[in-house]
Amino acid sequence: MATSQVLLSPAELAYIHSSLSLRPPIRSDGRTSTQFRPLTAETGVLPGTNGSARVCFSDGTEAIVGVKAEIERTRADNEQEDQDDGAAQRQVRGDWVEIAVEIPGLRDDDASTVFLGEMLREALLGDGDFARKLWINRRFHWRLYLDILLISPPLSYPLPLLSLTTHLALLATRLPRLKSEGDEDPMFDDDWQASQFLYSQNESARPPITLLVVAIGDNVIFDPSKEELAVAESALAVSVAAAASEKVSQDQGRKLKLVSVRMVDPPSRLTPPGVPNGTSSGTGAAPAGKEGESVEGVWKAPVGGTKFAILDGIIQAVLEKGGVADEVLDGLKGVELA
Amino acid sequence: MPRDAEPSLSERTFVTKALAEGLRVDNRKFDQCRPVSLTFGDEFGVADVSFGKTRVLARTSAEVTVPYADRPFDGVFTITSELSPMVAPSIEPNRPTETEVLLSRLLEKTVRRSGALDTESLCLIAGQKCWSVRVDLHVLNHDGNILDAACLAVIASLRHFKRPETTLDGEVLTVYTPAEREPVPLSWLHSPFCVTFSFYGEEGDIVLMDPTWLEEQLRVSSCTFSLNRHGEICQVSKLGGSAVDAPLFIQCAQTALSKSKEYTELLERKLAEDAKSRDKGGLMAELTAENDR
Amino acid sequence: MPLDTSTYSLALLRVDGRRWNELRRLHAQIRTQAAADGSSYLEMGHTKVMCVLTGPAEQNQSQRRGQTSGGGGSARDTASINVNVMIAGFSSVDRKKRGRNDKRTQELEITIAKTFSSIVHTHLFPHSSISISLHVLSSDGSLLAALLNAATLALIDAGIPMSDYIAACTAGSTSSHSASDDSADPLLDLNTQEEQELPYLTVATLGSSDRIAVLNCESRLQVSRLEGMLVVGVDGCKQVKQILDRVIREKGVQMIREGAVDRSDTMVMDLDE
Repeated sequence: MATSQVLLSPAELAYIHSSLSLRPPIRSDGRTSTQFRPLTAETGVLPGTNGSARVCFSDGTEAIVGVKAEIERTRADNEQEDQDDGAAQRQVRGDWVEIAVEIPGLRDDDASTVFLGEMLREALLGDGDFARKLWINRRFHWRLYLDILLISPPLSYPLPLLSLTTHLALLATRLPRLKSEGDEDPMFDDDWQASQFLYSQNESARPPITLLVVAIGDNVIFDPSKEELAVAESALAVSVAAAASEKVSQDQGRKLKLVSVRMVDPPSRLTPPGVPNGTSSGTGAAPAGKEGESVEGVWKAPVGGTKFAILDGIIQAVLEKGGVADEVLDGLKGVELA
Repeated sequence: MPRDAEPSLSERTFVTKALAEGLRVDNRKFDQCRPVSLTFGDEFGVADVSFGKTRVLARTSAEVTVPYADRPFDGVFTITSELSPMVAPSIEPNRPTETEVLLSRLLEKTVRRSGALDTESLCLIAGQKCWSVRVDLHVLNHDGNILDAACLAVIASLRHFKRPETTLDGEVLTVYTPAEREPVPLSWLHSPFCVTFSFYGEEGDIVLMDPTWLEEQLRVSSCTFSLNRHGEICQVSKLGGSAVDAPLFIQCAQTALSKSKEYTELLERKLAEDAKSRDKGGLMAELTAENDR
Repeated sequence: MPLDTSTYSLALLRVDGRRWNELRRLHAQIRTQAAADGSSYLEMGHTKVMCVLTGPAEQNQSQRRGQTSGGGGSARDTASINVNVMIAGFSSVDRKKRGRNDKRTQELEITIAKTFSSIVHTHLFPHSSISISLHVLSSDGSLLAALLNAATLALIDAGIPMSDYIAACTAGSTSSHSASDDSADPLLDLNTQEEQELPYLTVATLGSSDRIAVLNCESRLQVSRLEGMLVVGVDGCKQVKQILDRVIREKGVQMIREGAVDRSDTMVMDLDE
């Protein structure tokens, strides 16, 4: 976990946990369970990149993503295969996208950094349409470099922040317009005004977003704060992408697809357990022999996995029309693309 | 992690007070260096430099390799300067300390970036074969001023080194053993030397040359100049520390230049002495085509 | 990339249209980050850096082992300054990834840490550490200078006592190292193109004094030319200091106006200017 340990006492943890287990849950900042924290976002902050974005969460965490594209010759073995299948078959490969995550104070080969980068990459490539966009012709393709920088020290688990910033940066990414045709060496239009968006405005396809969801009791809580994460029974990273639908009709809304789901080890598993009054050493009784038994109001680090019903509920809440993913994508749509 | 022993409070006060009165602990003048000794080994390319108790050994070697794809016409030239626990107990292997980073950067800037060695002359067949020249630096004893000593050792070692003679006949590359053909020295362009100044006192106006380890621990800042004898600065680094008056740098640069000339003279003299001692049988004299008729 | 600098002698204008003694546009902001103790954003031409500072805070385990602690004094009696320079892959024209163990980056970190440990009154914060993270978003010459200036602003924003500003800039010379013509002009504040072609040095001074805290030169130049370049560099640092000072004062005035800070009697600043 990239977050530093939260300094909360077992009693505080138990309090937060029980208030979040109520139906409906009561969150310490007064949000509803699907409500996100406000954020500020802008795109096109870095003129030297193909696309860039900056996002600040209200708790002060901030990330910048820059996308750079380079032309690369597709390796010869692909060419051979393509000969048989014809030009329609566009061979795409996962290694056309390179993601580097930089978190201050952590080494770049730190396990949590690599895991973060891999989760974002997996979501991107899980959406098969994405790699296809990088295809130029049978001999050349674009290679995308995504450099994800967390500017502030990690105050909460940075995955949602980095994912939203990456999403915006990819939306703002523009590639020069191709002038050449067919399989000849690619030639591009020098005019940046003529460049084309990687994700065209009129089509409904959108890069994936990864949302962090925690389950506490039977409640499903979106965009958890640091404290909420510290009492989570299980945490999931759910990646959703909007697919390109053939007929774009406003009333039908966008077609969402689930790209990946990953369990994240919540920091709550490392929290120290509370000691019930009855067994407190202050009263002389030994605290032994009570393993596995939970006492009301006494904090105990959660063990075990997630129930199927809860998993199902999370996916439902994310994917349903007008659901959380829809809401987030609508919100991000409002960000002006520079 | 083991830590460097720090000078005690009484040592600190004693040394700094003495400096304020114009005295150094070993009774040298402020701009006086310790006696420098430079010796070469039996093999070509081994140089041993000592400044007082500081002792540094450099060894140059060469082998034939494939050049880097992005620079097919250049040979490979590397300087490795890993410090071992032999230098000080506080140094752990595979964990670069500040001293080590600065030392390797300094040598990189002084010798490699300034183009002292003509790397193009190391190319044998463009894009396929080239010489890889490698200098290994070993600090044997650290009693202050290892930067200057290391630089002198590296330059001396490279100047002393001779690589095997090669010929290219069509596509066939022949590397001759020293018995077959006399090895050739590296194609050398200029010899830069490092001169470090240490600053003391509240205002940083006391300037010392060639400090011992104790003096080095107490300095408020330092500045290293790299110059060749033609008066070309290859590198200047005063990396932080207390601020020093600007005119002082100009004075230091002049001192550094004369010091660099001294080093050049020393190196040339030692190289000539070494060549003479290797030439005992007068074999080279016999092999030359000139006769005194 | 060989660059034709010969046109300079014709109009005495540089590749970007500046004269020899002109700085590029220097734009700076402080308090850009709500979550940090001190933060700043600084642009010197197209070089853009961001600084986020945390501390003085209790040392954590890894810092206690003292990796890039600024030298001078024993670590326990003074605050250690840890500097982290992150050069983003997209900062240069061609994407180039620099690992954490890159020696050049480490040298930058050591330089910045050492500079500030002698300026900041670290003895006021024993057993603690100040960590400075510097992000390079775009680099177009004078990188070390920009990093030093940004770190100064962030330290002031965090309210950490220090004896003066560190103001830095670069100075170069129009002739290459081999030519010994005397007509060569010194130049101020070089961009990447000029840095690749011409000898240059980075100077950082203590406030607007003539005292030099950092002097770094990585290119070959005649020793006789050092003085001229140094004079121009020190003069440039004075201009930079003025600009940095204005940034701080403007922010201060703004904060008083907004009521974020109480106006005290000891303040001599004129709010109406």
